[in-house]
Formats: sequence, structure tokens, C-alpha cells
Amino acid sequence: MIFKMKNENKKKLIELENIHVDLKSSFETINVLKGINLKIFKNESVGIIGESGAGKSTLIMCIAGLELISKGKILFNKLPIHNLKEDDLALYRSKNIGIIFQSFNLLPSMTALENVNLPIEISGNFKNNTMAIELLTAVGLKNRIFHYPHQLSGGEQQRVAIARSLISNPEILIADEPTGNLDKKNSEDVIKLLFKLKKDFGSTLILVTHDTSVAKLCDRIIKIDNGLIVK
Amino acid sequence: MFIETFKNLTLSFRELRGSFNEFKIVVASIFLGVFIITAVGSISENLKSEIKNKRAEMLGGNFELSTTYQEFPNNIKSWLEKNGKTTHLIELRTMLSYNSQSILKRRIVELKAVDNNYPLVGKVLTSPYQKVKLSLGTKNNEKKIFIDKSLKGQLGIDVGDFVYLGKSKFKISGIIEKEPDRMFSFATFGPRVLLSKDALKETGLIKAGSLIKYKTKFIPNNENKINLAFLNHLVKGTNVSVRSIENNTNNFNNFVDRTSIFISLVGLITLLISGVGISNGVRGYIIKKTKNIAIMKSLGAKNLKILIIYLNQIFMIFLLSITPAIMLGVSIPYVFSPIISQELFNTFEPSIFLEPILISFLYGLTTSILFTILPLLNTYKIKPIELIRNSSENSLNETTFKIKSIIFILISILCFLTMNLINDKKLSFYILISMTVSFVLIYGLTNLKFFILSKIKFKSGTTFEYIRKAITKSNSFARSIVISFSIGLSLLISLNIIESSLDKRITAAINKQAPSHFLIDIQPEQIEKIKYIALSILGDNNFNSQPMLRGRITDINNQSVQSLKVDKEVEWVLKRDRAFSWSNEKPKNTKLISGEWWSENYDGPLLVSIGNKIAKGLNLKIGDKIKFNILGRNFEAQIFNTREIIWENMDINFIFILSNSNIENAPHSWIATTKNIGQNLNNSFVEKIISEFANISSISIEESYKSIKSILNLLIIIINSIALITLFSGTIVLAGIIDVGKKDKLYEAAILKILGATPKRVAYLWFKEYFIIGLISSFISLIIGFLVSYVLLNYIFNIEIFFDFKMIFVLSLLVPFLITIFSLLKMLNLLLSKPLVVLREYF
Repeated sequence: MIFKMKNENKKKLIELENIHVDLKSSFETINVLKGINLKIFKNESVGIIGESGAGKSTLIMCIAGLELISKGKILFNKLPIHNLKEDDLALYRSKNIGIIFQSFNLLPSMTALENVNLPIEISGNFKNNTMAIELLTAVGLKNRIFHYPHQLSGGEQQRVAIARSLISNPEILIADEPTGNLDKKNSEDVIKLLFKLKKDFGSTLILVTHDTSVAKLCDRIIKIDNGLIVK
Repeated sequence: MFIETFKNLTLSFRELRGSFNEFKIVVASIFLGVFIITAVGSISENLKSEIKNKRAEMLGGNFELSTTYQEFPNNIKSWLEKNGKTTHLIELRTMLSYNSQSILKRRIVELKAVDNNYPLVGKVLTSPYQKVKLSLGTKNNEKKIFIDKSLKGQLGIDVGDFVYLGKSKFKISGIIEKEPDRMFSFATFGPRVLLSKDALKETGLIKAGSLIKYKTKFIPNNENKINLAFLNHLVKGTNVSVRSIENNTNNFNNFVDRTSIFISLVGLITLLISGVGISNGVRGYIIKKTKNIAIMKSLGAKNLKILIIYLNQIFMIFLLSITPAIMLGVSIPYVFSPIISQELFNTFEPSIFLEPILISFLYGLTTSILFTILPLLNTYKIKPIELIRNSSENSLNETTFKIKSIIFILISILCFLTMNLINDKKLSFYILISMTVSFVLIYGLTNLKFFILSKIKFKSGTTFEYIRKAITKSNSFARSIVISFSIGLSLLISLNIIESSLDKRITAAINKQAPSHFLIDIQPEQIEKIKYIALSILGDNNFNSQPMLRGRITDINNQSVQSLKVDKEVEWVLKRDRAFSWSNEKPKNTKLISGEWWSENYDGPLLVSIGNKIAKGLNLKIGDKIKFNILGRNFEAQIFNTREIIWENMDINFIFILSNSNIENAPHSWIATTKNIGQNLNNSFVEKIISEFANISSISIEESYKSIKSILNLLIIIINSIALITLFSGTIVLAGIIDVGKKDKLYEAAILKILGATPKRVAYLWFKEYFIIGLISSFISLIIGFLVSYVLLNYIFNIEIFFDFKMIFVLSLLVPFLITIFSLLKMLNLLLSKPLVVLREYF
């Protein structure tokens, strides 16, 4: 009740209403999400947990505008994004979303610096390298800025990905199992870094994880099972 | 969009970094087509420019005035000498004899007798080097001549040997290396012999009625005043014809144009086949870049942005490919300049021309974009969600209106460029239509074949069923392989059928109908004696002779021929002197098409019989009037009948045969043929005639056939080599396809091996798969090849189709073997891969 009252005072950033996602194949239709209702508030951190295949990643990809929903509404700052066209969704992501993937997803032909600059180059807002260098310094990779992904360890690659996600100063940071491919030490370092930067940048963090201890670091934990929020 | 494109160049380059290797097939594909078009265009422009610079040398002066049979009217000759520089020449054909160890060898030669002013322009190059003026004169009672290189080899004679021309003995003074006013030698009957005019007079070869050409090369003192029209006016009413440097080089320019059009078209076809390679290369590249594209989209990149990034990359690759192609292309005239200098011009200085570079650049660019745009549109289909979930397909089947419009515009540009390249609207229309029809046929037949294959089912678990599924699956590249090879193979098969049909027709004509020898320049007083000898050696009905005169058509139905519009194909009839004959008796084997032959004792106004196809081309019908100028006199004849002329029978064929009239009193000669009744009899007859009558020359049909055949063979070798280039571009496409499908094949080999298949077994399966793809290509090529050759032979050559089944069988198996062996060699390392390593590393 207290938690509910606290949130009501906060500004609603994302609102999901009765979200359904059906994936069709030639053999069958799988209902991945079966009616999700969720509100996410500005500056909060939300941990999403659940079994494999429960629909966690699909849910955050819907928020990122990467997965198209079959039914329901998604509002960002009270504006609907579920009915946006592909290019408008790209613009929405470019301005508002920073994504960190489990498998880093850096472009192998670009250096750490170029990878970090990529979102602003894509949006056409690139001016200079200052911000990217600052971010790489902040993630502890000041000496690795001209290294290519294959010259970096997994932990270092994920730090580059974190720096990249923050280059546009997005309102929402979406992290899809960011420590899934890292060892324990690197996982701890990356999570620590993620929460620190979230705080520094004042972003909203939506974090998908299998690790309950990581989820507990968030303001709120949501558990998903079989396409529905159960807790 | 263009500013966007520029802004994204850096990003495109960064994304491309490390991926250049993926484009090697695309680079090779663009390179080959652009190189051929640039090289051919550069050679063609260089030759045309050289001709323009050397046209006076090639004609031997600014103008050439010529007559047949008679020397120039004195008033014209003296006017020319007074108003400019002149050189007077005489040209005729005769037999040259050489007595080698009591064996008399003879050869028909083309004599050119020159005066002391020859040549007005350029130099005669001889070996050993001598000044022609001094050497041609008579010294120590020895008359001297220069002979062509080819005669040296044919008769085994050399400098210093003695030979006979007519009744005179000559010493060979040197070998002609270069004759300035004669560029080609393949259009002549025999090798050139150069001698002085005075020496020619003593040979006794100049007889009234002999086919002798008198020529005067002329450079006027006042070039502004004296032009072609002026000279034509000067010689009006005489039998003198005038050529200027402008109309002299037209034929060669046309030859260069036609040849370069043909080779450029091959370049274009190569580029279009390469287009399939470009398309597959880009398709494979985009599949490999799916993850990168998904990452960029997840970071906010719009579809257009992605398209521009990859279009930029293709443009970079395009520049990378065409730069060496154009550089190499423009250097080809430099590489071949020694050969061109030796064969065509005394000196040849190549230059770089902008037009061929521009045309090949535009061709390359348009083709690259045309074949790139569809696979690049696949980027629209790639969803960022593929970063967390595998996409089942990477194909794009829908083509939007916008894209259809772009494709239409690009095809229009290609058509425009082709029309510009060919510079003949009708011809370019036919070529574009033929190319479109052929491509649609190949494409349609390929799809039909694959549709049938997708419907037929073999017994489950059999090798054939496995292969059928492999080549008909939705992402299979088998169709692209079939299309890219079918184009080249269809061309090869068509050429082979046309070649064997032509060969059969010529051989049949030679064996059955053609005469053994032609005898030319028989004097009227000699003909009766020769007929008698023919009867005694060859027997009855084996000797055919007709009187002959040359003259020009000046008017048709009282209208000057210069102002007439006639079919292009028969224009040649009006351009130069033509041979006429006359007879009141209907010549043997004459087939009349319209009208009838005049009576044997006809004595009325002049009548003429004309070849029916020529009559049609000149828009002539029975009753029309033709005016001839023969030996400076005008004769008007009325068309009385038209008859079929079968040129292929190689017998005496006159386009015009006149009725008997006082024309037969004019100085003329006879032409005769001997029927092929056995080599010994024919040879002994010809030997007797030319040894007894020094002025008569003989031409062996067999030898002429051999020389025609050698030119034909050379053309066929060139065309076949070009067709092989198209097969080579098919191989480049195949290499690209194998590269793209490498991952699938690795996976397939790994699974098969895990299930117990040995590498040999996997190789055998792949061998069958690619062999079947090759057989499909052969099957389609056979249909297209047959159709194309049938249409050409039936409607253009009018020749019955003939198949050399052995050769067609060999050609049909060429592609399946080429595809199979090349593919297996390229996939050898995949066969030897370790299955578990593959599954761990790649999947």
C-alpha cells in the first residue's frame, strides 16, 4: 500500500495495457504475452524475473519498440507507441531508449569508440568524440577506446555496450540479461556500473535477469510466468 | 538523400571495414563487363581517330578518280595535272609464273603499275628498304617488281628470283611491307605485285576489253575550291568515278562500328550475367550482415538509413572494381599498338578517349544498382528482434511500386545507353527485343523446370528425392546457377548450329554444283579456240562462257541514282561499276521469276533481265527503264524479265543480262567456268589454257573456298571465344553462390557425417546435385539455342538447319561437368571439415 502510494506521486513514463504478443509460425501460433498490464515510473529501476521462455525479453522488447504487439496499448509519456510505424519506432528508440543485450551486440568492424558513437551517428547528431570518451572513461575503458570488440574481454565488451546505451542520454535503459554471458566477478562489476550510471544519468532502468540477487537491487521486481505478471 | 548519402559515407566505410573479402565475386563480375566495354570502345575510338588522321594516305591523295577498261579522257587528265599533284596508276589481275627446277608454278596476282610520282602521300615500305621510284625502273635490261609477303610463301620465291608476267621476265627487287593506299588485303583476289607503268606496257597484258582499272590520285592546289561536287561536275558524262577522303573511309568506319557494337554487346551480356553474380554476392553479403543491421536498427536506424549505408558500400566496391577495369581497358590500344601499326597503319599512336570511359562507367553503375537494389531491399525485412530470436527466412518477395519504378528507370537507362552505343535505332530495337525475349525465355523455362521439379516426388529417402529437395528449397541458389550458365551455353549452342548449317550448305554447294575453275580476261578472238580445247579435254556441256563488260547505272526511270531511295541491302549495286553480260539465248539453268526471255533473233531496242531480289530492292518492275554508262556511252534498257540468282552455286551470275545489240562490238572480255569433272582433267585443261594464253587468269574455286573458310573459321573462333567469356562469368557467379551457401553446406556435411556418411559419400551426393543443376541448364540452353538458330537460319540466312549432334552433345555436357568439377573443388575444404567443430563454431 505504501509502495503504491509512493508510485502514485511519481510521473508515469511507460504504461502497458493488456499487452498480447502472438508469434506465428507455419505450424502454430504461440501466445508469448497474454495480457500484461504494467506501469513504469520515471527514474525507477524495475527488475523483471521469470523462467526461460516466460516472456521477459519479449516484454522489454515491446517497450523498446522492437517487438510488435498483437493486442493492447503501450504509452510512453502518455503518447501511444504501439501504433507507430517502423521508422517512427526507430526515431523513438533513437531518442528515448538505450539497450544493453546479453550478447553485447557490438559491431565487430568498429572500435570501442566508434561503437559508442554509433547511435548518435545514426541519428545524425554526431559532433565530436568528447561524450563517447567520457563514457568510456566512466566505464573504465579509457585505454581501450581504439580496440576492436575481438580485442576486448566479455566484461569489457559489455561495458562498451553500456557506454553505447547512454550516449544519447536516453530516458529508459533496457538491459536484457546483461550479465548472462559473464563470469561472477565481471557480472558484479557490470551491475555495479549499470546502477551507478543509471543514477548519474537519471535514467529509468528496466532489467531482465535470472539472478534474484541482482533483481533485488531494483526498486521493484516483477515476476513473469507463462506470459503473465504473477507477482 | 544525396546529402544523407555523403554524411553516411564514413559510417558505411566503418561498417564495411574487414568485409572487403566478401565482395571479391562482385568485384570480379563488375570488372569483367566494364573492362570489355572500355577496351572495345577505346580500340574503336582510336581506330576511327587514326583513320580520320590518315584518310588522305589511305586514299593516296585527297581524291581518287578511276575508270574501267579505258584510260582517262585526255582533257580531264591534263586538267588534273594542271590543277594539282597527280599520280596515275593501272590495276589489273593476271597470272604470275615462276619456273622452279623446270616445274612451272602459277598464281593469280593483283598488279599495280605506278608512275614516278607514286605515292603522293605516305611511303611504300619494302624489305630490303629501297626507294620505289628508282627500283621499279629497268636497269641492265632487268625489269623489276616488288611482291607481297604472302606471294613469297605461296610460290617459294624471294628477292633476286625471276618471274614472268605476260610475256615479260621480271626480277624480284623487294618484298612489300606496307603499301600506303591499301589498308587491307583480305578483300582482294590475289597478292599485290608492284611494277612501273612502262614495264607493264611491255608485258602485253593491256588488251582492249580486259578488266583494267585506271586510277589517278589527286591533291588539288586549291583545296577550298576543288571539292567532290566540283570534280563530279567535271567528270559528268564520262565513265570516270570520283572518291574523296570522306567517302573512302566510310566502309572501314562502318566495319569498325559494327565490330565494336558486336563485341560491346558481348561486354553488355557479360555485364548482365555478371549482374546475376552481383545480385547473389550482395544477397549473401546482406545475409551475413543481418546481425549488424539488426543492431543498427535497435539503436534507432531507419530503413532508408540502412539502405543508404549499404548502397554506399556497393558504390565503394563499384569504384574499386571499375577503376582497374577502366585503366586496363584504356591501356588495351597501347598494348595492341605494335600489332595495329603492323597490320593497319604505318604508325599508330593510341590516345585515351573519354566517351568509352563514360559509357562503360554508366553501364557498370546502372547494372550494379539494378542488380543490387532488390537484394539490398532485404535490409527492410530484417527486424531488430532477430538479435534475440532467429529469423526463419531472409527473403524479400514483395516489390513496392517505388522500387518497380526505380527498376524501370534503370532498365530505361540501360536501353538508352545501348541505343547510344549502337547508334542505329532499328538495330538496337531488334537487339534489345532479342535480349529481352531470350532472357524472359531463359527465366521462364528455368522457373517452369523448377516448378515441375517441385511437384514431382521421388521415393522418400532416395538420393534423387534428397537432391530434388535440395535444389527446389526456397532459399536454394540453383535457379541463379541455371540462369547464369544458360545464357552463355545457349549462345554457344546457337553458334554451333549456325556454323554447322552454313558449313554443310557451302560444302554441299562446292561438291555438287560449284564449278572447278573460273577463267577471266579471255579475249573475244580467243573464245572460240578455248571452246574447242574445252570440248576436246572436258567433253560436251562442261564449259560455260559469257561475254562481259563493266559499266555503271546512272538513271532509273529517268531519275538520277543519286537521288533514289533504295533498300540499304542493295545500295552497293548503284555505287560502283557492275559487270554486264548479253545474250539472246536464255542462259542455262535460268529460272525466270517474272516476264519471259526475249526471242533468239531479237533485234529491237535494248532489253534487260535483272536479278529478282535486286529488282525488289531497287523498286523495279517489268517495263521500267535503266540507263547504263558503258565505256563513256549511255545505253537505256527496258526491264523484260526478272530471274532468280543463286549466288551459292558459285557459277557465273550476272545481275544484268542485256539483249544482243551493238554493245557486243565494244571492247570486252569473256569469263568462263569449267564443271567439276575430276581434278586431273580440270587441272590439265586450265594448265593448257593459261600456258597458251598468257593474258588469261584462272581462279580455283577450291582455293577460294579455302580462303573464305579460313576467314569464316577465324570469325567463328572469335565469336566462340567471346561466348566462352560469358561462360566464364557464369563460373564467377557460381563461385559467389558457393561462397554464400558455404555455411549451409558446412552444416549439411556435418549432419550427414554425424549420421554416418563418409566424405566420399557426401562428395558423391553433391556431385549428383550440381550435375543435375548443370543438366537443367543444358536442357534449357538446348531449347533456346535451337530456337535462336532456327529463327536466324530460317529467316535471315535462308538455310536449312543442320545439327552436328556429336558437337551439341559435347557442348551439352560441358556445363554440367564445369559446374560439378568447379563446385567440388571449391567445396573440398568443406568436405574435410570436422562435424563437431563445425556445429560448435558456426551454430
